[in-house]
Amino acid sequence: MEEEQQALLDEDSAAEGDGCRRLKSLPALCDPGHLAHRLLVLALMCFLGFGSYFCYDNPAALQTQVQGVNLIWNMLVSLLQVIFALGALFNAFWLMELGRFVFGIGGESLAVAQNTYAVSWFKGKELNLVFGLQLSMARIGSTVNMNVMGLIYSRVQEMLRSTGYTTLGVTLMIGGVTCIFSLICALVLAYLDRRAEKILCKEQGKTGEVIKLTDVKDFSLSLWLIFIICVCYYVAVFPFIGLGKVFFIEKFKFSSKEASAINSIVYIISAPMSPAFGFLVDKLGRNITWVLCAVVTTLASCIMLAFTFWNPWIAMCLMGVAYSLLACALWPMVAFVVPDHQLGTAYGFMQSIQNLGLAIIAIAAGMILDSRGYLFLEVFFSVILKPLSVTGGDLNLSSRKREKLQKLAAAE
Amino acid sequence: MPGSSGGCLSVLCLLGSFYLLAGDPGGCCRKVSLQYNPGLNSSSVNLLHVRAVGCNNTLHYVWSSIGAPTALLVYTDSESSALRVNWTKLLSPSPAGAIVVEPAGSVLYSTAVVFSRVFEYNGANTSDLTAVHEDNFYPTYDLADFSWESVNRTLNETALSATFQGVSVSDPKGAFRNGSISFRVTAYEESSRDTLLPRLLHTANSSKVEFIVNRVAPRGNGSRFALEIITVEEKGGRKTLESLRSINDEYTPTIFEVAQLVSDARNDSAGPSFLQWKATAYSSQNAMREDSYHCRYYPLQTANRTLPRLSIAHAYFGEALASQHSVAAINISFGSEDNEAYEEKGYLSWSALIGFGTPPKDTFSPLVMAIMVVALGTPVVLLVAGSFVVLLVQKKRLEEMAAKDHLA
Repeated sequence: MEEEQQALLDEDSAAEGDGCRRLKSLPALCDPGHLAHRLLVLALMCFLGFGSYFCYDNPAALQTQVQGVNLIWNMLVSLLQVIFALGALFNAFWLMELGRFVFGIGGESLAVAQNTYAVSWFKGKELNLVFGLQLSMARIGSTVNMNVMGLIYSRVQEMLRSTGYTTLGVTLMIGGVTCIFSLICALVLAYLDRRAEKILCKEQGKTGEVIKLTDVKDFSLSLWLIFIICVCYYVAVFPFIGLGKVFFIEKFKFSSKEASAINSIVYIISAPMSPAFGFLVDKLGRNITWVLCAVVTTLASCIMLAFTFWNPWIAMCLMGVAYSLLACALWPMVAFVVPDHQLGTAYGFMQSIQNLGLAIIAIAAGMILDSRGYLFLEVFFSVILKPLSVTGGDLNLSSRKREKLQKLAAAE
Repeated sequence: MPGSSGGCLSVLCLLGSFYLLAGDPGGCCRKVSLQYNPGLNSSSVNLLHVRAVGCNNTLHYVWSSIGAPTALLVYTDSESSALRVNWTKLLSPSPAGAIVVEPAGSVLYSTAVVFSRVFEYNGANTSDLTAVHEDNFYPTYDLADFSWESVNRTLNETALSATFQGVSVSDPKGAFRNGSISFRVTAYEESSRDTLLPRLLHTANSSKVEFIVNRVAPRGNGSRFALEIITVEEKGGRKTLESLRSINDEYTPTIFEVAQLVSDARNDSAGPSFLQWKATAYSSQNAMREDSYHCRYYPLQTANRTLPRLSIAHAYFGEALASQHSVAAINISFGSEDNEAYEEKGYLSWSALIGFGTPPKDTFSPLVMAIMVVALGTPVVLLVAGSFVVLLVQKKRLEEMAAKDHLA
């Protein structure tokens, strides 16, 4: 009786998807269910992120010289990097602005698409590790860009024997090559994804390509708490790093080079630590506890920097560790809390409000610094971080309640 | 003039004693008057006498650009002490004894601060004055060889300020064609805080001096400036360099250090004298936080120092200057390696306070205190309250379980 039912079920599933053929004789690398194939996809996603972030930070790297696995977005990003470079080449600042503006749109959407892809490929297994790796590659991309673009610019300057916009344009074109590289990665990734869809009979199409704003009202309280934690944490860390160099020079009497080094230590630490922490959180679970840990640690380092003269390397290293931990514990939590069809919307929303928060707070931080100085600024950031521990605690309690309810239901 | 302010002064004295009782460390208010070239009808030389009369004492600040620009500070315990200047002697090659404060017996303490030289060096590799190679120094500007505009035109009786503006007499490269080096002097009658950066907190016993380099053309790329200050202390006295670091940069954003030259403590009412400054300079008149120069000071040099050029310090201290007074020098440099702010803005302004008594000290403002208490105290309160709640809930649950077991 049961076997008959099973056979019927098998037939049904075979009949459902027309292209659904399960070939058991695929080599490991080509079998979408196998780890090796998924590692290939992971590698592609990482390089995709690398290329995107490399281009994204171009203006930052060339400051003094100037005053997503979704295919469409990636093309847009590449195209706009080219526009940006063209703008520089022809000395049309408005063109550069246009390029950056739309690049911003493209770049962030790419991040959302990347997150969604990651969830669809790695959910339930190695999600934390994957997010950690993606963050790592993003940071490496930015850091490499910071170090390399300046060199490229001076080399091009030597070759062309002219400063100004021509050199800048050529340099940015070279930077654009990495975008093309990530575009190729995206193409390959898209092909693999479609192939896996057919082979594994996965419903890929609905995991977030359509963003419905009305989904927002369906978000649960836990999700809103996650959003709040995300925004509040990043606005307490990034603006400080942006304004931190003078702080270390004046308060701790660092030299200019030392101050730059300590400022970038947060990103340097996150490059190796994010995947490591991701792995850890995958093994141990308890994402919320880790998020709480990260928030409290960052708060401690803010207080250390503001109220003591202790060696700031301690505080900044702590901050780097906390930042890595939070990134790889917080973003996957969205996947646990949100149904698959709303995932894209959720990630998109999270990215949006994070960026909005960063934009607003960056301006506010500058204003606070100009009028009241660093002590006030640090106290301001601590005030933002304080409620996070409460929020995190809330999240903890609500998740424990859910666990308990589930246990009770299982017992009954 | 002194007679008419007598009645005012007694009222001030009364108020002042209330201030003292209330613990105002800056001393009571003073009545300040400015005199330009007292007893001389010409404006070819500059001598500004600032007389700050308080309760039973008078402070005399004599600012002059005769020779090297100098500030002479004299503390007398009489409200009617006066300055007497013998101009023929002062303008002669041996000015000893040309400046006298009468009555001589009322003088408790006198000290002088001389601004002797301005260095210009190539600081693109390192802005550390001690690490810069000799070859990277341009010829020094000796402030005793400057010609100064008449201070009379810049005298402001309401703001109690005056500006000494000078250009180098020998100027082969024309660096001073459109520019000048100035010293702006401001006297104070009461304790308060400046509104403009660096928002120095001053007392009634102090005056502010601003060293300003305005559009002096740099003689090369990566030029940085440094100022040499010489202090003259009475027999047996000396000044020590102190650095006060604080976590609070509320009044001068991004600046956490105050440096001061303080003389030894005294057991008369004069109190120590000080020269105090914040470790910053600014590249604009209405400065904002981003206009600040990285300012660095170097150890006080006390060994075998003498005043290199004539100044009114010689006129006041006389022959005793060379033998009995201790002379010390300090350098202050402006600008860091990676910032060409002077080339871009062409303006540099550094402020310092000179005065008597304990140097003023910045404290936390009430706003910052309140925010810190609220921001850091609430979570502690919440934590304690939360733990209580958790304990209570657990206790109730234990009771419930015990009750259930009892029934079952």
